[in-house]
Amino acid sequence: MPCPRHSQGFSFNRSSAPTALKSADPTPHVQFRLGEARRQVAPRAPLLRDWTLAGNMPWAQIYRTHDGYLLRFADLADFEISCDAGVVQSWPAPGVPFVDIEHLFLNQVLPLALSKRGRLVFHASAVEIDGVAVAFMAESGRGKSTLAASFATSGSRFLTDNGLFVETAHGETTVLPGHPSIRLWADSEGALVQAPARKAPPLGFSSKSRFLTGDQIAYCDTPRRLERILFLGAGEINAVTIEEVPRAVAFVELARHSFLLDAKAPEVLASHFDGISRLARLPICFRLDFPRRFEELPAVREAIVACLASRS
Amino acid sequence: MVRQLGEETVILDLASGTYFGLDPVGTSIWQLMESGKTLREVCDSMMKDYEVSREDIERDVLTLATNLRERGLIETA
Repeated sequence: MPCPRHSQGFSFNRSSAPTALKSADPTPHVQFRLGEARRQVAPRAPLLRDWTLAGNMPWAQIYRTHDGYLLRFADLADFEISCDAGVVQSWPAPGVPFVDIEHLFLNQVLPLALSKRGRLVFHASAVEIDGVAVAFMAESGRGKSTLAASFATSGSRFLTDNGLFVETAHGETTVLPGHPSIRLWADSEGALVQAPARKAPPLGFSSKSRFLTGDQIAYCDTPRRLERILFLGAGEINAVTIEEVPRAVAFVELARHSFLLDAKAPEVLASHFDGISRLARLPICFRLDFPRRFEELPAVREAIVACLASRS
Repeated sequence: MVRQLGEETVILDLASGTYFGLDPVGTSIWQLMESGKTLREVCDSMMKDYEVSREDIERDVLTLATNLRERGLIETA
């Protein structure tokens, strides 16, 4: 059976694979397996940590099993991650469609699995401006996707909407392209996307719409050198501001928004610490804040482009 | 694990998975301790660089050293 591969290094073991996957790395880093639907029972494994979203909203639990990890999204799916995070076995809860499982795997589980395999992954979006990557990093609800879509519908291209995969090799730090889709709430959709637009099937657990790349939303499918990381402020401000942040502040923000499956694994933690420190030392981290009004987006884009142009 | 970020320092305690941050003054103290100086020698060096009283220097150095030792980040000889 053919195994479609994704540029971020995983393969699907399923006949009807998701669309819009590109072949890049011939060696899959993480193998995904889809199991049969099964009821979720109380795990016989110690809880490693609770995973909560903004506002302490429960999202998932991570358990340490005898041969790896169990990642449980209540009433949605279980994902068993092998100890080396090379294999992810999914078990959907009864009635949960594959589109939900695929979304959870790509946006939540894969970043965690890759973090266990020494990769740096952040909760961030990124766009391509003048041939380089600019990342927007913040907790959910701060406007990462809206900013990415704003650029992608205005002549630039987006690289990723949720998982920011960063690699450093030969002294250069690059962003890998993510899944070619952007999820938007209805108000952002109304402001940025004109009907009709290509949409993926809706998710059962989210009312966001998922827009696929096409005429309206431009996607960059090639790695780009990372030139700016913009940490998004809360929006309680009257004008667009962009300020460089001290390196120690950048470290804290990068750590906060990074995916890390197991903080108790010393070798992984050490590698993670090294990677974040290296990023924090680069003169590319800024704080961006702006009023959250759609009519401000052109001015926000302009300010970001100017910030990028100021690099030496 | 210790990494310097500009004038500040980040320390990772691998045993607990906790990060600690040192501001520029704390970084200076840490670097002096790391070079093998006794706390008295650390204070002597700090007196040359900072225009504060010896009492203030000793209090700050001792407070930091105590915090680091309680967290297992340094050991007393």
